[in-house]
Amino acid sequence: MSGYRLSVGGRVVRRHAVTFRFDGKNYQGFAGDTLASALLANGVMLFGRSFKYHRPRGLIAAGSEEPNALVLVDRGPGRRTPNLRATGIEVYDGLTATSQNRWPSLKTDFGAINDRLGMFFPAGFYNKTFMWPRSFWDKLYEPAIRRMAGLGDAPTEKDPDHYASTYAHCDLLIIGAGPAGIDAALEAAGTNTRVILIDEQDEPGGGALADPSLWPWLERSMKALNDAANVTILTRTTAFGYYHDNFIGAVQRLTDHMPQIADGPREKLWRIRAGEIILAQGAIERPLVFEGNDTPGVMLASAAKVFANRYGVAVGKSVALMAAHDSGWHDVFALAKAGVGIVAIIDVRENVDATLLTEAEKLGIMVYLNHSVIGVNGRHRVKSIQVCGNNDYLDGRIACDALLMAGGWTPSVHLWSHSKGTLKWRNDLGAYVPDQANENVCSVGACAGHWDFGNGAVIDMLPTPKGLTRAKAFVDFQNDVTAKDIKLAVREGFRSIEHIKRYTTNGMATDQGKTSNLNCLQIASTALAKPVTDIGITSFRPPYTPQTFGTLAGHAKDALFQPLRKSPIDGWAEDNGAVFELVAQWRRARYFPKVGEDMHIAVNRECVEVRSSVGIFDASTLGKIEVVGPDAAEFLNRMYTNPWKALEPGRCRYGLLLKEDGFITDDGVSARLAPDRFHLTTTTGGAARVLNMMEDYLQTEWPDLNVWLTSTTEQYAVIAVQGPNARKVLEPLVAGIDLSAEAFPHMAIREGVICGIPTRLFRVSFTGELGFEINVPAAYGRALWERLIVEGAHYNITPYGTEAMHVLRAEKGYIIVGQDTDGTVTPHDAGLDWAVGKKKLDFVGRRSLTRPDIVAPGRKQLVGLLTDDSNLVLEEGAQIVADPNQPVPMKMIGHVTSSYWSETLGRSIAMALIAGGHKRLGETLYIPMPDKTHTAKVSGMVFYDTQGARLNV
Amino acid sequence: MSDILARSEPVPTLPFVGVGVTISLVTPMARYSLRARQLEALEALLNTKLPHKIGKTENGYACLGPDEWLLRAAVGTAMPKGEGLAVSVTDMSERAICLVVEGPRATGVLLSGCPLDLETFAVGRATRTLYETVEITLIRDSEDRFHVEVWRSFAPWLWIALTTAASH
Amino acid sequence: MILIHCPYCEEKRPEIEFANAGQAHIARPVDPATQTDEEWKNYLFIRANPRGRHHERWRHIHGCGRFFNAVRDTSTDKFETTYKAGEPRR
Repeated sequence: MSGYRLSVGGRVVRRHAVTFRFDGKNYQGFAGDTLASALLANGVMLFGRSFKYHRPRGLIAAGSEEPNALVLVDRGPGRRTPNLRATGIEVYDGLTATSQNRWPSLKTDFGAINDRLGMFFPAGFYNKTFMWPRSFWDKLYEPAIRRMAGLGDAPTEKDPDHYASTYAHCDLLIIGAGPAGIDAALEAAGTNTRVILIDEQDEPGGGALADPSLWPWLERSMKALNDAANVTILTRTTAFGYYHDNFIGAVQRLTDHMPQIADGPREKLWRIRAGEIILAQGAIERPLVFEGNDTPGVMLASAAKVFANRYGVAVGKSVALMAAHDSGWHDVFALAKAGVGIVAIIDVRENVDATLLTEAEKLGIMVYLNHSVIGVNGRHRVKSIQVCGNNDYLDGRIACDALLMAGGWTPSVHLWSHSKGTLKWRNDLGAYVPDQANENVCSVGACAGHWDFGNGAVIDMLPTPKGLTRAKAFVDFQNDVTAKDIKLAVREGFRSIEHIKRYTTNGMATDQGKTSNLNCLQIASTALAKPVTDIGITSFRPPYTPQTFGTLAGHAKDALFQPLRKSPIDGWAEDNGAVFELVAQWRRARYFPKVGEDMHIAVNRECVEVRSSVGIFDASTLGKIEVVGPDAAEFLNRMYTNPWKALEPGRCRYGLLLKEDGFITDDGVSARLAPDRFHLTTTTGGAARVLNMMEDYLQTEWPDLNVWLTSTTEQYAVIAVQGPNARKVLEPLVAGIDLSAEAFPHMAIREGVICGIPTRLFRVSFTGELGFEINVPAAYGRALWERLIVEGAHYNITPYGTEAMHVLRAEKGYIIVGQDTDGTVTPHDAGLDWAVGKKKLDFVGRRSLTRPDIVAPGRKQLVGLLTDDSNLVLEEGAQIVADPNQPVPMKMIGHVTSSYWSETLGRSIAMALIAGGHKRLGETLYIPMPDKTHTAKVSGMVFYDTQGARLNV
Repeated sequence: MSDILARSEPVPTLPFVGVGVTISLVTPMARYSLRARQLEALEALLNTKLPHKIGKTENGYACLGPDEWLLRAAVGTAMPKGEGLAVSVTDMSERAICLVVEGPRATGVLLSGCPLDLETFAVGRATRTLYETVEITLIRDSEDRFHVEVWRSFAPWLWIALTTAASH
Repeated sequence: MILIHCPYCEEKRPEIEFANAGQAHIARPVDPATQTDEEWKNYLFIRANPRGRHHERWRHIHGCGRFFNAVRDTSTDKFETTYKAGEPRR
């Protein structure tokens, strides 16, 4: 290995070497390395190209705040994960990673021309420049910009991994297992509270992992926590969002660090509800803003300490420090002790604590107080730095291969902010810290502003004698925002940080400005000559770090994407080649094609068989509600438009349900089983809605009524047997019910037995033919269906699906709520005046039927529509006009709601909602379509058996 | 008619056996929804004591709402209909099926999609709740054994969801 | 995900078990037929949309099934109280 691996130190396992690939080249690292530390150890400092200017970029940080070193990890098809931070990727044998946003290679990137043209790419450049003509966007600007600017490529293959998900509950959740978090956990260990301690890293310890003097304490503490039965420790787990009532979303990475792709889930989503939350997220060191601060090799002082002490890697052989804070001094002292060569400490301050100077002198480090770095030499790696006195502007050059920045500290208040806790500004820290909590939560340690890193100066930028207009002094490294961009935004009139942020895109990259937000605030504050607290603060929003869509989806994919409800007879339909369609969450058999049949032929056959002999249909999905109690009839009378009190037990009635606004919301045939018991049916999609609506009236408007509702949708399988031979099919199978026309008329219900099973047998029809609907306990639905298929074979009993059902009902002019109505259709509009009880003083929606808008002329009304070309089947949804020669845009007077080919009638039929439709009978209307304008005549809605003779047989 | 039709079940009748957890379909049972504003009216009709706090179970009766009880009993158990009384007795034996989730991991498997704090959910408690978006009625039978009642049409989905979670 | 106290179950339960049911304390007129168009319009369509304290109805639809009333702050999403249907406005 190259000379950047220190001979001793770190927590890496030196006896366990691993081989990995980066940009096509093999490297060696140790178990315990991150991709970042292992590459550094190999002397690699160039990790990527920047987003906008394609500038060469190295590491800034050692943790999840890293803005630059975004790489793609490739684990095979569907397993290419872009935009991962090299500082968070654990190396393993065979790890394959590549850099991003460069072409053709990292060292030679044609896009870097953007960098030379940087002066032409100010803030808002894309918005201002590529405005006109609009059509250029799609073909020219956007594709070109997308090629040049951007992050990694999203994989296009299906993700083969699966993801687990769980809820968890605890009394105390501690987020962050650094010293503060561990101390909090130790306090709760061994009590009878449930404690969860989570940390995003592979190993608990946080900052202590970079301080060998704390390792014995860390080991003792973790042993105590591991031994405590009440403490659950989750590592590699990121709390990404803090939601209401102490609800935390966290992602645990289970397999990404393993050399072999495991069988188990890749990640697990934890949805944690905590009684109390302790945030111990620590603080993030702040970069300094100066010319060339993005040169590879310029990084945070604290990161250099982590690389040296945790990973045993020197970030350079001759390292300089640019400090505005004492912490940087302590960090380079630690580096010097670890064997890293330190060449100089430059501090922007005039005075620092004498003990620091003494220590520097002892270690033989040159010190430049009241000086600043004004330039960095080297393109792919720091070669030297320009240092200048803050007052005398006398500059000199210091040779070094790494420059550390110590700009002070920013408490991580992200989750605190998600929870809507307030923040207060601390002038001494130059940072916001948690103030008033909005949940049962407290912040401890560095994320609350408590640290022992010493003091620092709060500055916006390092002083520089050079004009700012050409400065490449970066604030947001990931989005390539410079100090100049922020000043430009202020000059152009932006005053609030929320606007400055959006105009410059500062803090809007995938790192959400973890290293840039406060520098941006300080620069804007100076430019506006206002205190930081007067220009606002941007909001942190979940996720804290980017998370995979896979985890957020959890198990909700493929068969588990959403519940697919299946009827008791679904299995038979599947076995018999049905083509299905989705109706609400149900899947229903649409038609049953025989060999060689397409939908059209199959549906024609099914319809003809029903009309000529008998068909069988699975109606199990119809909503059913059992209404029971002494006031059942009174209740239905108030709910439905028609009268219910006089309905005799054993009889059925069509019920029309309005909302209070007078519009049709549902319908169905319902039966009175006993004086105090009704069996209601609703539409398939309306079942839950109708039950909720009825419960609402019952519980809150009429709580005095003694009546109760029970959903029985799934209690019964419902088999419709329809057609002139329906009675003959049932007769041999039914016991205890006289099926004759006299004893069992249309719209009646009988209870009895079919094939040994109790049944509620309805004599009803949605086809216009003699028909029965057999309700049996759901478990017997399939067996009964199969028996009916066998027994009905003499009559060529034909299973039909929802498509034939639609055609058959349309031939009879029966509406489907939700297809022929759209929530703005009254009973009168739908031609259902007959279903409204004229003598009833009240029912839900009645008062609205006399509202001015409802009685006004010109309302859209439901009518039949017969095309002049009888072979033409109109498109459902097609718009209708009265005058086809009017100029575009034409006045549309309605639309086609239902349209089918009727094999029985040998022509097409349609229904339509048309303005003033009831008065247009016989009128010719026009349906303009892309190819030609069709003509059709308004008709009545009943196309077949207008007298209903086929029903009453 | 002496012939008896065969039952069909929406989930496999063979148990799923995972590490630390078994998921199996319970044999058929009778289920009734019992409703009354006055608990005493039902108690008189049924000649039994009913639990009066939501979530409690007693003698197979679970109190699910302020005026609602669920009876789960041996298949074929008949109930008086209470005609004319201010009560409602409705047979819904086949509306739901019941899965038993049993074993040391039972709680963990259910927590994969149920938002309730099942670690503190007392033995004997019953409640309607959700597993992800699907409504279930959850009854804790013992420390390591839950009954999960789910409407028949949702059962295939829930079976896949629970067995997937159990296999993780 | 919010926790909501169900006044019937007498415990806090997760939000996904509940359904919002609009503004509370809007009683259906006893005799709608006597309502003027204006009165009926107000009953049907006119609703408060306050920033802050708001009375609304919820239903513990995947729990005990009951509708109840709540006072929620619309700007913070915090529930001040919940109470049974039929109890006086709080």
